[in-house]
Amino acid sequence: MTCLICGTLYQPSATWSRLFIYELDSSTCKRCFAKFEISKSTIDFTDFLGTPYEGAVDSVFCLYSYNEPMKEYLHQYKFLQDVALAKVFSGKLQQAFQRKEGIVVPIPMHPEKLKLRTFSQVDKLLNAAQVPFQQLLTKTTSDSQGKKTKKERLETTNLFEVISTIEAANYILFDDIYTTGATIHHAAKILKDAGAKRVDAITLIKG
Amino acid sequence: MNKQLQQFLTGRIWLREHTPFPREVIDAHIDSGHIHLKPGVLTKSDSNLFWQSKMNTCNRCHNTNPSLFHSFNCARCNKICTYCRHCIRMGRVSSCSELLLWDKQHARSANAHVFAWSGQLTPLQQKASEELLASVEQNQSHLIHAVCGAGKTELLFQAIFACLQAGKRVCIAAPRTDVILELFPRFQKVFPNTTIHALYGGSPDQHGFPELVLATTHQLYRFEHAFDVVFVDEADAFPYYADETLQKAVTKAAKQEAALHYVTATPTKSLKTTNQSILTRRYHGHDLPVPKFVSLWGYARQLKKGKIPLKLQTWINGKIETNTPFLIFLPTIEMLENFPGELPRVHAEHPDRKELVMQLREKKTPGLLTTTILERGVTIENVHVAVVGAEQPIFTSSALIQISGRVGRSAQYPDGDITYFHHGISREMDKAQDAIEGWNHS
Repeated sequence: MTCLICGTLYQPSATWSRLFIYELDSSTCKRCFAKFEISKSTIDFTDFLGTPYEGAVDSVFCLYSYNEPMKEYLHQYKFLQDVALAKVFSGKLQQAFQRKEGIVVPIPMHPEKLKLRTFSQVDKLLNAAQVPFQQLLTKTTSDSQGKKTKKERLETTNLFEVISTIEAANYILFDDIYTTGATIHHAAKILKDAGAKRVDAITLIKG
Repeated sequence: MNKQLQQFLTGRIWLREHTPFPREVIDAHIDSGHIHLKPGVLTKSDSNLFWQSKMNTCNRCHNTNPSLFHSFNCARCNKICTYCRHCIRMGRVSSCSELLLWDKQHARSANAHVFAWSGQLTPLQQKASEELLASVEQNQSHLIHAVCGAGKTELLFQAIFACLQAGKRVCIAAPRTDVILELFPRFQKVFPNTTIHALYGGSPDQHGFPELVLATTHQLYRFEHAFDVVFVDEADAFPYYADETLQKAVTKAAKQEAALHYVTATPTKSLKTTNQSILTRRYHGHDLPVPKFVSLWGYARQLKKGKIPLKLQTWINGKIETNTPFLIFLPTIEMLENFPGELPRVHAEHPDRKELVMQLREKKTPGLLTTTILERGVTIENVHVAVVGAEQPIFTSSALIQISGRVGRSAQYPDGDITYFHHGISREMDKAQDAIEGWNHS
């Protein structure tokens, strides 16, 4: 197979679980994949204490840290629009979602932005991992969070609106990267206000 | 008509979303017919009773390898869109993206070219230079087959100057950025009145209409029928000979009637030219150092265990004692990273490659471990070289010849030690040794 990242040919390792248990195929060579670093940092919500967002999110789980190879990956995936790279983390993401129960809700993109990027990077990651999800939110502003300070991010009015009925159930928000947590908290609050029982979040990267 | 746009787009094939011009300007020129559009990816479907197949071609890099195309549901065109992964670093080209080509009168320059070079060619260089000039005047392709360190760049000057004076647009292409960076200041000095652009991954924006373009072969993906004359330097370098799309890129960047000229130390059979010149002597006139074969049985296992094989250790110690700078070439990045000891090491992904080479030149470090990345373009005075695992497939005869060419380049130290440590002698090693001995005897 050809590694999606470095382009060299590699031999996927033959393991018993590959033979007997249904498992998503890897799409990168071992050397490239080993460069991604499992995130060990714990996420605390102290910044949100005393704000309307306190207690909106019940837990956050981030898979990888934002190291140099991950920056490069995200650059090629998001900004060079290399959709094929959505497959790189499919196996690990699938495992992460198997451990949690709830309705998966991806963080949406503004329609104009979607047209420019030609794909939603968050949805494509879930598609590749074969995780079923529901589009329950819509984004109300088209400006990016990346250029704002933390304070500005918290002070903006809620970025999302609910577009469907929310039941008193568990929801799992999914985004590509958790930086200050503003996006996830905005989305969680909207879900909770609409009647969600519990809101967890999973992100691929801890920024 | 916008003159700057004309100068920019003449001979180019450029992604519509990525031009450094405002959208309205581009739109106006499309309406007026100055620019014509090509779809980014061309899909031909072929179906009959037994199979259905789709063949994609990227209109920018001419890649047709099916594993380097990816299809997805595109939110822009709301269809299944296919894009090319091969040239994605230059901005993604997909089925619904458009490429711009300049259709009307091409930009011209009014520079009076000046040839400011006072160097002296050796009789051998002079002869080759004249032969090349004759070929260029008759528009016939020419191959310059010159050993490493023969002084290839200088003998191009005459021919390039003749082309420029005839109002031709000239391109000098090389597979590696290092080479372009090295050539650029030299050409600026030799042709002070000519607009020269140097194009490589991450090169800064340059203005005006360049009559002379120095470009990595990758950058030629972005040209179409642009040049009257193309010189390909180091035509034997990786990845040019291994990547068919780069060879197509050179042909595509040249005008249909243009002649392609090649400069190389190890011509491959696929390089076909009408005429050729051979330079078998270095500019200083001394013999090329001939590689020695030394067996190093089971080196891979010993290195894996964290031990440097005895013969190799003795070789290294000898160089350190005599204060001779040395390079050790290793076949894989893994072996390089796991090599025991404290010696500094460089590979393609290494951020401060240039600094480490500088340190070796200034004798701040005794030696360097490297992959084939340093096989060419590096000149270090009195350097000695070892190749570990010379029998491995990555060391082709041309790679080995290039590596051996690092030794004895300066007139002061025309000789030096070049040793191939091996686990069995390969055909390629024999070929390299034979070629070098052959040049010395001719």
